[in-house]
Amino acid sequence: MARARKVEGIAPEDSYASVAASVVGVRAQEVFAHRDGVLAAADVEPLHDMRVATRRLRAALELFDSCFPRADFAQALRDVKRLADALGARRDLDVQIELLEGYARESSPEERAALRTFVEQLRVEQAEANAQLAVALQEIEQEDLEGMLDRLAARASRRPR
Amino acid sequence: MKARRVRGLDPAKSLRENAARVIRTRVDELYSFVPEALEGDAKALHNMRIAAKRLRYVLELTGFCFGPYATKAARRARELQDLIGAIHDCDVLEPRIERYVAGLAEADAQALALAVGSEGADPARIPRVRRTAYGALAALAIDQRARRAVLFASLTRRWRALERSHFRGRLLAALEQQPVKKSA
Repeated sequence: MARARKVEGIAPEDSYASVAASVVGVRAQEVFAHRDGVLAAADVEPLHDMRVATRRLRAALELFDSCFPRADFAQALRDVKRLADALGARRDLDVQIELLEGYARESSPEERAALRTFVEQLRVEQAEANAQLAVALQEIEQEDLEGMLDRLAARASRRPR
Repeated sequence: MKARRVRGLDPAKSLRENAARVIRTRVDELYSFVPEALEGDAKALHNMRIAAKRLRYVLELTGFCFGPYATKAARRARELQDLIGAIHDCDVLEPRIERYVAGLAEADAQALALAVGSEGADPARIPRVRRTAYGALAALAIDQRARRAVLFASLTRRWRALERSHFRGRLLAALEQQPVKKSA
């Protein structure tokens, strides 16, 4: 799992709004840095990294929500949640398949055959979750979530909402 | 679970002042779910996981504003989140196995009935290889249940250890302390 990137240049006495801008900017970049390879079922790490980055971004948005214009914030958070849900649905299946394959390796050949059939069903569900994720990725591309988050970070305001 | 609203946040005031407000609220939120969660209430356990996650992330991001225990508390919150997450994985997988077995059983029963026909034959016998399959899946479900029990016991012990180490009091005290400056 990728470690969170350190947000440089923030200090305890900085205004909440200025830190909000820096943190949301960095956390958004982290999400999109992991975009390549998330749809590959053979390597589950890119998806895991993007999911963790999305969780961190969502946490940052929720932490600093009072610094952002309400409507822009609500739309960005909704899109991030939708992405997080699609990533989470795929990740749950990745974890279950990994666990079952480990379990099968330690089983007798007859038991292994039964477990493999179960894994095959999970792989079908994994492919369905992947198709949903592909749609979610396409939607955030079309809605320019990356640009939306950049603009949101730039609009962090010191005025109470 | 919707996050509890944090009162008094002011974007013009410092990160330190605002973060302290958020952390106090998130600690209260976490503690509010613990008694029921540790009694086995599934919804409270889910809420405890979300609350631990929220506390973890705010501490990871802003722990540097406070005394050293704030950073340590982020690790403790993460441990809680990880443990409850592993319990959740078992809670998801066990019913999934049961649904899969129920589907197999239905299909096998129909296939057997068709194979035997209606001539008053002996009760149908499921082939040995299929019995092995059911055994393997039943064992997998049992393992998940046992794993959950072990993880839950571990969570209970972990929480008691946190209580003994005055987790809440030390974290709230750290919010009043200045960060330790790193020497050049």
